[in-house]
Amino acid sequence: MSNGNLRVGRVLRASTRGFAIGCAVMQPDIPAFGSFVRAEGQRPGSAIYGLIYDVSVEDDPFVRQLISAELREEDQEVVVRDHRQNRQVPVEVSVLAVGCGDGTGIRHSLPPQPPITLDWLYQCTGEEVQAFTVRLDYVRLVLEAREVPADELLAASLRAAAAARPEAERETFLVEAGRELARLLAGDPVRLEGLLRRLCS
Amino acid sequence: MTLELSRVAAQVRAMGEEIATREREYADLVELAQHWLAQYADQGEQLRHPAYAARAAIPTAEPLDAAYPLPSLPERFTVITADGSQVQPDRHGVALYYLINIGSLVYRHGSGQAPQAYSQPTLGYTEADLYEGRLLVAGNLLDVRRDLAELTRLADLCSAEPPGPIVAIADGTLIMWVLEDLPAEGRHKKISDYLAQLDHIRRTGASVAAFVSRPRYGDVTRLLHLANVGGDPQRADREPNPLEYLPDRAVFETLAPGARSALFVSPSPINHDHYRPDHTIHFCYVNLAAEGRAPVIARLELPAWAVQDADRLALVHGAIVAQARITGDYPYALARADELAYISAQEREAFEAMITTALLRAGLRSALSPKAYYKTLTRQGRRKHRV
Repeated sequence: MSNGNLRVGRVLRASTRGFAIGCAVMQPDIPAFGSFVRAEGQRPGSAIYGLIYDVSVEDDPFVRQLISAELREEDQEVVVRDHRQNRQVPVEVSVLAVGCGDGTGIRHSLPPQPPITLDWLYQCTGEEVQAFTVRLDYVRLVLEAREVPADELLAASLRAAAAARPEAERETFLVEAGRELARLLAGDPVRLEGLLRRLCS
Repeated sequence: MTLELSRVAAQVRAMGEEIATREREYADLVELAQHWLAQYADQGEQLRHPAYAARAAIPTAEPLDAAYPLPSLPERFTVITADGSQVQPDRHGVALYYLINIGSLVYRHGSGQAPQAYSQPTLGYTEADLYEGRLLVAGNLLDVRRDLAELTRLADLCSAEPPGPIVAIADGTLIMWVLEDLPAEGRHKKISDYLAQLDHIRRTGASVAAFVSRPRYGDVTRLLHLANVGGDPQRADREPNPLEYLPDRAVFETLAPGARSALFVSPSPINHDHYRPDHTIHFCYVNLAAEGRAPVIARLELPAWAVQDADRLALVHGAIVAQARITGDYPYALARADELAYISAQEREAFEAMITTALLRAGLRSALSPKAYYKTLTRQGRRKHRV
């Protein structure tokens, strides 16, 4: 989580609930499920924060043909490099909006405006993740989000937030997150148990 | 306004039946052609002269039915491909221009490196670009420019490579046959420029070939008919040729996987009037399929200098089969070059928008012709359900 202004990709389409990013090639450390990301807002100094909840690699008929032709050992390396480095492999990253900032503070709520097509999306630095997760109000936004694997996403984001902290603070953070989950899911002990298990795994 | 599929359905059904019947008849003709190929295999020398008069494949020293197995290849070799696409000048468009886009790929077998991929667009817009005498550079004239641009790209990439076994592959044919239909004026210059690029490739030490997928040429079947009428071109012309519509590739479907046929010389008048002697275009057929698969017959065309050197010929033969085995039945690097050259409808639209902006910046208001404008209205807003 120590990548400065590490770009994930550019905005393909967006709404206030979330946005989709396109990038040519998958980098080893980005984009990852549950990562905190940031897009610049329309007003100077403003930002929109989100969580990556889906990373999909689109196929194309040429790739299908190569797979069905069963690439021979001697061709594999060159062909795979050609596809990954030269052909525009369309990696699409979906992001759930969980907060916004105006330069003076961060709010855990949907942004008033979405980012615009072709805006850059950056991976949050460790410091940004720590600052964003000082409060855990975003947890409710994720739990209530439809059409995303909410529990998996929440557990992954909380683990990422813990990892962004000094080792001595991680357990305290996770315990605090567990308390917040217990408060929000008091009426759904089965879901709570599943989430806590994911958090500890 | 639109295609009424229900009105054409009966014709499509009849077409299917007709093609199926023709295929059944072809089986007998293929047998006959293969029988003649074996029967007249040793008559190449006698047939050489009359074959030219009959515009049939001209035999070389190789027996007509010769088959050469897939040669071994060096551990490392480079395949360079180029292909082109173009936007034709459109008098109804926002401006009169043409665009040629050349895609190319340098694929180094055995290197483990990612191939080098390129796209090179060239815009023609001056009067000198757009006209040859009084003719607008469009259709066949533009095809010739694209072919020359493809070969030039291949030559440039070959000369940029370090020494080693290199095969340059063009898509289609090495014979500028379209010039047969164009005015003689300027023909010589165009062919000279093209042959100069073939020479350039030769000087780099590389080999060159053109690849024709699913060829429909009937050069060899015409030769077999000629052989069957005693090698008399007049008789061949007079008497019906039972193999008239049988493509050569059907005759060579018995080639073993990876094997090539005998070499022949192309009977194209352009080949004989302008390409002689070093660049005379030869051709052969090759079965690209792997063991146990249905035959996939392609045609390879090579200049004389590439076939006279046994090592160069073997390298081309082996390299093209190796490339085709990547995808299954078509050279991978050619498929990629085509992809790199292709101009999609979206890209063309964006390009036209760029031109409109450039014209506005230059103080000109541009517009589609009324005809083109109304086509955009009627073709986009079809008031019918999609099929």
